[in-house]
Amino acid sequence: MAIFLQQAITGMSIGGIYALLAVGYALIYSIFDFTNFAFGAMMMMGSFACLFAVNSFGLPIWAAFAAAVLITIIISLATELVAYRPMRTKGSSRLTLMIAAMGVDIFIVNLMTLIFGGNIKQVNYAWPIRTIAIGPVNVGFVDILALVSCLVILAFLWLFLDKTIYGVAIRASALDTNTAGLMGINTNTISFLVFAISGLCAGIAGFFFGFKYAVYPAMGGISTKAFIASVIGGLGSLPGAVIGGLLLGVLETMISGYVSSTYRDLFSYAVLIIVLLLMPNGLFGKNSREKS
Amino acid sequence: MKYTATVLLLAGINMIAVSGCTVLTGYGGMFSLGQAGFMSIGAYFAACFHIYGHIPFLLAVLLGALVSTAAAVLIGFPVLKNKLTGDYFAVCMLGFGEAVRLISANFKPYIKGAMGLTGIPRKTTLTVVVVCTLVVLFLIRNYLKSHYGKNLIAIRQQEVAAEMMGMNIMSNKMWALAISGFTCGFAGALYAFYATTMYPTTYGSAKSTDLNAAVVFGGVNSLSGPMMAAIILAAMPEVLRAFAMWRLVIYGLLFVVIMLFRPEGLFGNKEIAGELKRLWRWIKRVWAWRTTGRKEAG
Repeated sequence: MAIFLQQAITGMSIGGIYALLAVGYALIYSIFDFTNFAFGAMMMMGSFACLFAVNSFGLPIWAAFAAAVLITIIISLATELVAYRPMRTKGSSRLTLMIAAMGVDIFIVNLMTLIFGGNIKQVNYAWPIRTIAIGPVNVGFVDILALVSCLVILAFLWLFLDKTIYGVAIRASALDTNTAGLMGINTNTISFLVFAISGLCAGIAGFFFGFKYAVYPAMGGISTKAFIASVIGGLGSLPGAVIGGLLLGVLETMISGYVSSTYRDLFSYAVLIIVLLLMPNGLFGKNSREKS
Repeated sequence: MKYTATVLLLAGINMIAVSGCTVLTGYGGMFSLGQAGFMSIGAYFAACFHIYGHIPFLLAVLLGALVSTAAAVLIGFPVLKNKLTGDYFAVCMLGFGEAVRLISANFKPYIKGAMGLTGIPRKTTLTVVVVCTLVVLFLIRNYLKSHYGKNLIAIRQQEVAAEMMGMNIMSNKMWALAISGFTCGFAGALYAFYATTMYPTTYGSAKSTDLNAAVVFGGVNSLSGPMMAAIILAAMPEVLRAFAMWRLVIYGLLFVVIMLFRPEGLFGNKEIAGELKRLWRWIKRVWAWRTTGRKEAG
């Protein structure tokens, strides 16, 4: 039982990061109807920003956090301004946007590999290696910190989307972008905000991933898991993304704990295909059948 | 001379793989991130058939390609039955490709897991590749010119309208996926008999990117465009060593630039043969005008 609880909490901690990333995917999908495949690369850049802030410049931890978030927001906005917005004004199809996003991802990842090499790097920062005992379970300090901060940020995001006027505008655009534009909502401002928020999510996720595990150019592949999480929750649904992320994190940890850690990723893809087969709209998604 | 032959051989193998992706992505509009998985399946099975089953080389290659076709149908059935398009389709295929890589890296008997399969005899020669490429291209060209090809174009442009016209969306897409599975498996198998080794990482996501790059650069609704791109993209890393390193960076950048300024690709909706014919007619017209013009002047 203790092992089960241990696995569940570790899973929740990974799931929290998945949830953050999944929210970044879902937010963009809900408004622009395309998957931002460049998301993994942005998260990787966040981790690299942390790495350099700590290893090369010896900055304190909060500065590393700020650097990660700043760089991902800048990249997110830059891709939006350079690539996605001109394509949307030209009325390009979803496939076009998706291929462009893939291109951004391939470009950033391989450029980083060329410059810094593909090997795994470690952030030189000693977390207080303290475990906190909750009943029979010992939980790492970083795990708790990651889970709590992810939940806090998600709560803030929910407050922002639910209570502020900008949140209302974003939700209106998610419902119907064209009509929202007709109602006097500046959709360009909204897209700016949405890409900034999704960049923020990528930055925070990159910060925690970089500190907990390792930093390497191909680490963005983790964001595929977040995509799976947002599919489980229903693409475009924010609560679905959060629940999907936590669910996938826990399931994965259970699989690697009880079955086999080599086939953990295989399991995630199997979950993706099974979810798409049995309930293509996910847990909370709206009807996703494309209407031309 | 041997160097040129090698470059031609690699270009031919790449053309075979890209021809199927042209059907799938260029005509069918289905963007797949896991085509390398089919190449892996074709290569492993063909090598195993030859080494452990003592099946002759070409037959083993063909059987490997058929196994990879079967894999395409197996994954395609649930995916297409549920009408997954766009991002969903792409990610499902990514999952498929990763699954193939993971299984082949952990499956120890016969294919030796991550250690890789070595000692495959080198049987692929330039003649074999050229003949195979010509046959495959001829078949693909006929397929695309038939009503199947026209159906695919219709489905890509307006899926709902095509369905209203009485087209069976699922079977048409399934054919496209199966064909791409066949050609990719075929190309993978030929390459395995050239390289003599086969690792789970031989066909990774970078290979899928290569194949998609050829189709995206070459253009939609065109066979000769992607073929041209396939030759250039296969020869570039061999001719320009520096290009091999920067290749993926440049592809990424070009994906964005082409999607921005020419989303239909460089030879979108055009065939090189047709363009050459038009050029030839234009030259003849100009020539005729000049000669007649001279006569009048004289």
